[in-house]
Amino acid sequence: MTSKQFKTGAALVFEILQQHDVKDVFGYPGGAIMPIYDALYDSEVKHFLCRHEQGAAFSAIGYARASGKVGVCLATSGPGATNLITGLADAMSDSIPVVAITGQVATKSMGSDAFQEVDIIGLSLACTKHSFQVRNVNELAGVLTQAFAIALEGRQGPVLVDIPKDIQLAQVDQAIAVADKDHRHYTQEPANVGSALALLNQAKKPMLYVGGGVGMANAVDELRDFIKVTGMPSVATLKGLGAVNNDDDCYLGMLGMHGRKAANLAVQQCDLLVAVGARFDDRVTGKLAEFAPHAKVIHFDIDQAEIGKRRGVDAAIMGDLKVNLPALAIPLAIDDWRAHCQQLGHEFANDYTYLGKGIYAPAVLNEISKTLKTNNQAAQTVVTTDVGQHQMWAAQHMNFTDPSNFLTSGGQGAMGFGLPAAIGAQVSRPQDTVIAVCGDGSFMMNVQELGTIKRYQLPVKIVLVDNSKLGMVRQWQQLFFDERYSETDLSDNPDFVALAQAFNIKAKIITEKEQVSDAIEEMLTHQGPYLLQVKIDAFDNVWPLVPPEAANDKMIESVKK
Amino acid sequence: MTKHTHTLRITAENQPTVMEKLLQVTRYRGFIVTGMTMFPESDSSLLTIELSVQSDNSIEHLQYQLNKLIDVTAIKLDSDAASLCRA
Ligand SMILES: Cc1ncc(C[n+]2csc(CCOP(=O)(O)OP(=O)(O)O)c2C)c(N)n1
Ligand SMILES: [Mg+2]
Repeated sequence: MTSKQFKTGAALVFEILQQHDVKDVFGYPGGAIMPIYDALYDSEVKHFLCRHEQGAAFSAIGYARASGKVGVCLATSGPGATNLITGLADAMSDSIPVVAITGQVATKSMGSDAFQEVDIIGLSLACTKHSFQVRNVNELAGVLTQAFAIALEGRQGPVLVDIPKDIQLAQVDQAIAVADKDHRHYTQEPANVGSALALLNQAKKPMLYVGGGVGMANAVDELRDFIKVTGMPSVATLKGLGAVNNDDDCYLGMLGMHGRKAANLAVQQCDLLVAVGARFDDRVTGKLAEFAPHAKVIHFDIDQAEIGKRRGVDAAIMGDLKVNLPALAIPLAIDDWRAHCQQLGHEFANDYTYLGKGIYAPAVLNEISKTLKTNNQAAQTVVTTDVGQHQMWAAQHMNFTDPSNFLTSGGQGAMGFGLPAAIGAQVSRPQDTVIAVCGDGSFMMNVQELGTIKRYQLPVKIVLVDNSKLGMVRQWQQLFFDERYSETDLSDNPDFVALAQAFNIKAKIITEKEQVSDAIEEMLTHQGPYLLQVKIDAFDNVWPLVPPEAANDKMIESVKK
Repeated sequence: MTKHTHTLRITAENQPTVMEKLLQVTRYRGFIVTGMTMFPESDSSLLTIELSVQSDNSIEHLQYQLNKLIDVTAIKLDSDAASLCRA
């Protein structure tokens, strides 16, 4: 059975992966993918055994986002494949290039409700860019090659390739070199530079609205040049953080529901909004009809379907940001507006005075960020987060030198993202520091991945922001549901330090302000994995907050008593 | 608000998932299908699909979304509905 006289479909899978320069994959074995795991045994591709397929999918995403390469994950049929779905949905929403390979029952059993048969193609259609099922081993090479091309072309995204077991076992007829199919779906209409230039020249108060597309397009340098030439003030989305140089004093930080007051006010006042790789998400715009109400809009994007989807535009610049941003980089006479934005930035700078007794999470996260900067380590550090209050605090109070250094589940807000994404980031950048900022609720959603950290001795640093609550939901219950705290208490959490130690991970809990600096130092200098549990007040809130369906200048900044 | 009916003439690769995906995107983007005809091109691997849809939403945006599908090769808006589909 194991004689390798001829090449099987399974062996071909790894040959194609290597052709695409894939060095690491994340996965979990099972019956219908056993031939692929058997071929893995002989392959140079390194496999990381995650402890849940959702972990494998999020690790592939973390790997892709931290490195700019395609992330690859493997799972068996049925429950293995369905466990990938949340990860695929996350990659779809955040446009992350991932190739997911699933085993499937043998073709002769398909459609018979066979053991561990699930229609993963049907299930995946709504959360992938494209899905393939291989029905003939001679199509396998071509399909995998296309999968990588589709994941990367235009607006990036996840692709699923489902391979029945008999196809994995089948002998490949010949070494078929399949020419890359021509995908011409991103018809590049000539960029409407003329009218956009006119809008730029007329604008007295232009504002740059920087989205995740800048990082995805690898256009951070072009964006920074554009800012340098135009002098335009800027704000960023959650996924756009890291694109603008933090030292730019006309950069006002994150906008939207938990955006900085200066950012939201300036956007409401601007007369021209220049959206770059951003999609007017509801978490960004607040009440759409009152978002940037005085602004004309120039929208740069690679995806035609985003143009005018939520907000009408006055000029659309379709295509590659790397090409298009320089075409509009012209000096602007906007000194008064720049001074006004700078003044807003100073007036509403982050403030770390804390009236509570214990530890203030925003101050801790800010101190970690500052320490990294002082140590000249910021560019070589990746921060991942889970979802909730701690995520927003990380976004508000940490600075990033590049979007690939801040990985968070944006479009889906998927709890449990932080730990497996950190694993993927650490695998792709073994020399760099990786910090997972986790919530106590979210951490428990993929806590099994501590086993992955243990096995590969990945030196991931976990900052567990522990409020013993599903804090973000609790905050909404406090503000919008009459303090009726339904099912958001986690005061019976496990002993996280003991839990980490059970995986041979060094761990420490801190409860007092005075312990913070030493603990950060100890964590950052520790050679292996480390968990720092930071106990905070259960009732600390994320401010400011734009209430649902309110305009972005109607933010709340504290609890009214 | 009045609902508008439009007919799209779509050319797509004849792949097993293509109809499912077209209908899924159409539903997800807020359109109701009021008529549909599908036939394979005799001399190629392509399908022609005529899809009549109804919505308050802009038909242009549905076209953009459908055009992103990997297997879709062309989309034309047939406004005068001189087609096999009748709403
Ligand atoms: C998979 C998933 N389930 C539910 C939610 C809804 N949700 C958003 S934030 C949150 C609370 C998260 O708690 P924790 O991880 O402790 O973070 P905190 O807000 O306390 O910092 C919940 C339940 C979600 N975003 N994702
Ligand atoms: Mg919590």
